[in-house]
Amino acid sequence: MILYTPLSETDIFPYEVTKDCMCIQHGGKTVYAKKLENGSFEVQQLLSTDPQDFLNASYAPGMIFQSTE
Amino acid sequence: MEKELKEKEILPESSPKEEAGAAASIVEKIQQLGQTNVPQAPDSNIHVLSIIGQIEGHIQLPPQNKTTKYEHILPQLIAIEQNPKIEGLVILLNTVGGDVEAGLALSEMIASLSKPTVSIVLGGGHSIGVPIAVASDYSFIVPTATMTIHPIRLTGLVIGVPQTFEYLDKMQERVIQFVINHSNIKEEKFKDLMMDKGNLTRDIGTNVIGKDAVKYGLIDEVGGVKHAMAKVSELIQLQNEEEDQVIQ
Repeated sequence: MILYTPLSETDIFPYEVTKDCMCIQHGGKTVYAKKLENGSFEVQQLLSTDPQDFLNASYAPGMIFQSTE
Repeated sequence: MEKELKEKEILPESSPKEEAGAAASIVEKIQQLGQTNVPQAPDSNIHVLSIIGQIEGHIQLPPQNKTTKYEHILPQLIAIEQNPKIEGLVILLNTVGGDVEAGLALSEMIASLSKPTVSIVLGGGHSIGVPIAVASDYSFIVPTATMTIHPIRLTGLVIGVPQTFEYLDKMQERVIQFVINHSNIKEEKFKDLMMDKGNLTRDIGTNVIGKDAVKYGLIDEVGGVKHAMAKVSELIQLQNEEEDQVIQ
């Protein structure tokens, strides 16, 4: 199925925020991150209005980081 | 005579069962439509078909989406073609797009009806709503309605990248060809609008508003319900005259 619509994918297929997925601060930026069993976090989605932030590899989906906040 | 009198005597007295039934009917109307009374369309030779919400095709969309399902519309279009009492069709369109193949199927069905068809774009006729709007014999757009013209995109996992892009390109070409064959817009202009930058926040493309859609030749005229009804009546009359001439 190919959808031809100006709506974004998340408008049609809602982004599921599960219990282990949370909105936290990482390096001064807000990210949706999934808490892993070892206590670290995996980036799911970066929430930013600055296009430069999306070029920063440390905020790319799948990156693992330790929360200090 | 006696029978009539009896009926007159019986009619004013309604049984408690009937009263309960009427009350239940009112409650149902309020629950379903937010109204106690629903206007009934009189017997008419013009059928009105609504295509509202997203166009839903082979895959069911999540429940928060409001959709028009192709399995509901396609059989209705066949029934309209077969019903001799229906002489013309008015399509009310307010869609944000949806499944490409389902949208093209609806467009082709509307375009191939033998009866006069008129469409009205209300609110929005975006993306795959564009071919549906132009599929009719004559199209209207209300002054405040918009039509978003943008490229077909694919999000998510892509397997076999060159083939997928070729497939998307062909699919986009099918939409473009349908639109230019069923409207007065030139292919170059349509592609320019589709690839234009700086108009949409998240994509390339153009948001065409009422009067502009007519200026570009995409839609025939700016107008609303009364204009559409008058136009479809005119087209029916023309068709009937043509048929009479053939018979003579």
